[in-house]
Amino acid sequence: MEELVQHLTPILKEITGYIFPNEVELHWGILIVLYPYLTGLVAGAFILASLVKVFNVKELQPTYRIAMLTALAFLIVAPLPLLGHLGHPEKSYEIFLTPNTTSAMAMFGFVYAWYLMAVLLLEIWFDYRRDIILWASKEKGIKKWIHKIVSLFSKDISEKAIHFDKKSVKIVTIIGIPSAFLLHGYVGFIFGSIKANPWWSSVLMPIVFLFSAIVSGIALVLIIYMVVTPLRSKPIQMDCLDKLASYLFYVMIIDFSLEALDFIHRIYESEESIKILSELVSGKLFVSLVVIQLLMGMLIPLASIAATKIFKAPSELKKMVYFIAAILVEIGIFTTRWNIVIGGQLFSKSLRGLTVYKMTFFGLEGFLAAIGILILPFIILFILMKLLPPWEEARNP
Amino acid sequence: MKNFLAKIPEQVKRLSVLLVILVIVFIVVRSTLIPNDFGKIGHYRASAVQNIANNELHYAGQEVCVDCHDDIVAIKTKGYHKNLSCEVCHGPSIKHTESPDEFKPQIQRNRSFCPTCHEYLPSRPTGFPQIVSASHNPRKICVSCHNPHNPVPPVTPKGCEACHAEIAATKSLSFHSEIPCTKCHVANEKHKLSPRDNLPTKPTTREFCGQCHAEDANSPKDIPRINMATHEPRYVCWQCHYPHLPEAQ
Ligand code: HEC
Ligand code: HEC
Ligand code: HEC
Ligand code: HEC
Ligand code: HEC
Ligand code: HEC
Ligand code: HEC
Ligand code: HEC
Repeated sequence: MEELVQHLTPILKEITGYIFPNEVELHWGILIVLYPYLTGLVAGAFILASLVKVFNVKELQPTYRIAMLTALAFLIVAPLPLLGHLGHPEKSYEIFLTPNTTSAMAMFGFVYAWYLMAVLLLEIWFDYRRDIILWASKEKGIKKWIHKIVSLFSKDISEKAIHFDKKSVKIVTIIGIPSAFLLHGYVGFIFGSIKANPWWSSVLMPIVFLFSAIVSGIALVLIIYMVVTPLRSKPIQMDCLDKLASYLFYVMIIDFSLEALDFIHRIYESEESIKILSELVSGKLFVSLVVIQLLMGMLIPLASIAATKIFKAPSELKKMVYFIAAILVEIGIFTTRWNIVIGGQLFSKSLRGLTVYKMTFFGLEGFLAAIGILILPFIILFILMKLLPPWEEARNP
Repeated sequence: MKNFLAKIPEQVKRLSVLLVILVIVFIVVRSTLIPNDFGKIGHYRASAVQNIANNELHYAGQEVCVDCHDDIVAIKTKGYHKNLSCEVCHGPSIKHTESPDEFKPQIQRNRSFCPTCHEYLPSRPTGFPQIVSASHNPRKICVSCHNPHNPVPPVTPKGCEACHAEIAATKSLSFHSEIPCTKCHVANEKHKLSPRDNLPTKPTTREFCGQCHAEDANSPKDIPRINMATHEPRYVCWQCHYPHLPEAQ
């Protein structure tokens, strides 16, 4: 009880206006911010990879496997914030055993499982199968066995089998794109369908989520590519980087227009919530929404990428600009999620008051746990890259 | 038939085996792990209700405390806190009722505790006693002035603003700032001691405001006048003008 009192008393002092008692404390904290952020990165990275396969964008070939592994690493981590937030992770399998079809949240387990098994793992398996078989035949010890098991003891590397692999990758990708849209559109749906909350309730929400997801995914693959390639002392391929940056640019423009559309729509409609929402945006969310999300995360990257194009910057400068832009974009998309999740809970349903969010440092739902969850996918990615090297030269001739 | 089997690519065969294994594992796990009574009365185990009923009790309930603390209960039932349960402030105390000397209930004496209910919040109903703890006698603990079991202000407040702080603050900024509360409300002195039992009066008619605002009223010249016959005669004035912050829009 002491803890509760200590936690509540300072919040009570920062409340402004009229607010119902059960709104004083936020129920969805930093972990729920991470969840759409991580799933967004998965969907974005996967859609980038699909461009290579479906539209045959040759320049992006070096990032194809990196993108797939990135998507996998982040997908493995994506449900962790939910488990941490809900508690009792040991009971999580129960949503699969007794599916509750009336709960959008409970159905996430199935969307997730479908995406993991029917799309990502399958595509990676088909794409890597030949290489894994060849690696296994040259290796010794546990690496050999890991590769053997991962290939499901498959041995056939005849011309015909490889052709079949290629075809399968294509089919899976074509199923995969709508699935990736489903995965992240679904996350947007969860928020967009909450009609009691004017900050969330919007049919545009799934689409805005999706495009911001693609933005963050492309930026992430760009960062990983730019960090990993020099570490392996290999040259960065400029045409690949340029292509990534221009995709990033175009998708950001779409994302920006969608968000602007949503914004204008809200202002024009001027529903009864508009007063409190503008108070929110000009007050408690000003820094994270206007300064970080809009200015740093959107306008500055857009302008700087555009500038490199217009002034035909030398490649060293371009690299630096791309890298910084991508990092800003990542921060920007993170605050987008923050503004949606946290922002949506800062105002009272009475539309007459605001509360504050106090993040704890320790504990399952604290800052440290969030940092841990953010670092974890990179560790998994490192291991995946060791097991399934995505580099061109690791492919067997 | 054999021919057909041979035509299926090797990959598909292996994946199918994996799929079949997964499906079988899923079915087996499902049939063994789903409890028998799941879904009988809803999307949960029927026996969960019993399990929850069997949980260890933490709260004893106020009735039990009477047995040994009848003196405190007697004071409390007459005071403002009569509707609060003892364990709201003293925490779960069932162990204490079983062995009073071994387990002592919590006692919250720090200043941050009482404001969880009494900190000023606009959403609390008017008349609910509220304070701004930062300026309400800071640096002394609440129980040094208020008996927690029979909380009354230690001295009878002189002004109305001690309890109606919000209204007083609003009024002080308004056109009516110069008018004392008692001009419009007849408040018995007892109202300050037990407010609910001695409610003051409130204006009930349009003519009350007309004393000052009617065109023919005998009041200072600078007061804005209205024509009582034509100025919204079907409503009482405070349906449009908040009397503690009147404005004319
Ligand atoms: C079986 C008798 C009994 C019951 C029932 C009982 N108490 Fe007590 N309580 C005691 C005794 C004895 C003491 C010790 C008095 C002393 O130390 O002077 C005590 C002390 C306390 C104290 C002071 C503890 C301290 O640290 O000084 C509180 C507070 C208290 N009781 C609250 C409660 C509440 C609340 C309940 C009802 C849920 C309750 N008691 C029910 C016998 C009882
Ligand atoms: C509003 C919160 C509150 C409620 C409700 C409350 N108490 Fe207390 N109680 C306190 C505080 C604070 C003290 C410490 C008083 C002090 O230190 O002067 C206290 C002290 C006590 C004590 C020990 C000191 C004494 O005065 O003998 C007992 C026993 C006790 N309470 C019993 C009860 C019982 C029984 C009830 C229910 C009938 C109850 N309390 C309801 C806040 C509360
Ligand atoms: C669980 C909520 C709660 C807690 C905790 C609580 N109170 Fe109260 N308090 C009330 C209620 C309810 C009333 C009665 C209000 C009414 O009659 O409208 C009240 C009334 C009062 C009053 C009477 C004010 C007046 O109008 O004369 C005082 C003084 C007071 N409490 C002081 C305290 C102190 C000191 C504490 C901490 C020991 C405390 N309260 C803890 C709920 C609480
Ligand atoms: C000890 C605290 C206290 C003081 C001092 C106090 N009041 Fe009140 N007053 C109350 C409470 C409690 C209520 C009941 C509020 C409710 O029931 O919603 C109330 C209600 C009222 C009401 C509304 C009555 C109704 O029918 O709704 C008026 C008017 C009022 N007070 C005027 C005054 C005036 C004028 C003074 C100064 C002379 C004053 N009060 C001083 C506590 C106080
Ligand atoms: C120095 C003594 C003192 C202390 C300490 C003190 N109060 Fe008071 N309290 C008073 C007096 C005197 C009044 C009468 C109103 C006034 O003059 O403000 C009062 C009035 C109240 C009221 C009634 C207000 C209303 O609108 O009806 C509440 C509630 C209250 N106090 C709660 C608390 C709480 C909670 C604390 C601890 C954080 C506390 N008091 C600490 C002296 C004190
Ligand atoms: C110009 C006359 C006027 C003055 C001065 C005035 N009131 Fe009122 N007050 C009213 C009227 C009229 C109502 C009835 C409003 C209604 O019924 O909706 C009222 C209602 C109230 C109520 C109950 C409804 C509510 O809003 O909570 C309280 C309490 C109250 N007044 C307290 C005060 C206090 C305290 C003061 C002095 C600080 C004060 N009033 C000064 C005219 C006045
Ligand atoms: C004791 C005399 C008196 C009474 C009774 C009185 N008023 Fe007033 N009223 C004034 C004064 C004085 C002013 C301020 C004039 C100024 O300074 O411009 C004023 C101003 C106003 C205004 C502001 C007009 C403007 O120019 O914006 C309104 C509205 C108003 N009163 C409504 C009411 C209502 C409604 C009531 C009845 C609940 C009422 N008054 C009762 C004296 C009174
Ligand atoms: C249906 C709503 C309504 C009601 C009821 C009403 N008023 Fe008004 N009052 C207004 C509006 C609107 C204005 C401003 C426009 C105007 O001057 O007509 C106003 C203006 C005023 C003014 C300022 C006039 C000036 O010249 O600045 C006063 C004083 C006033 N009202 C007093 C009263 C009094 C006293 C009553 C009750 C007898 C009352 N009103 C009832 C709506 C209302």
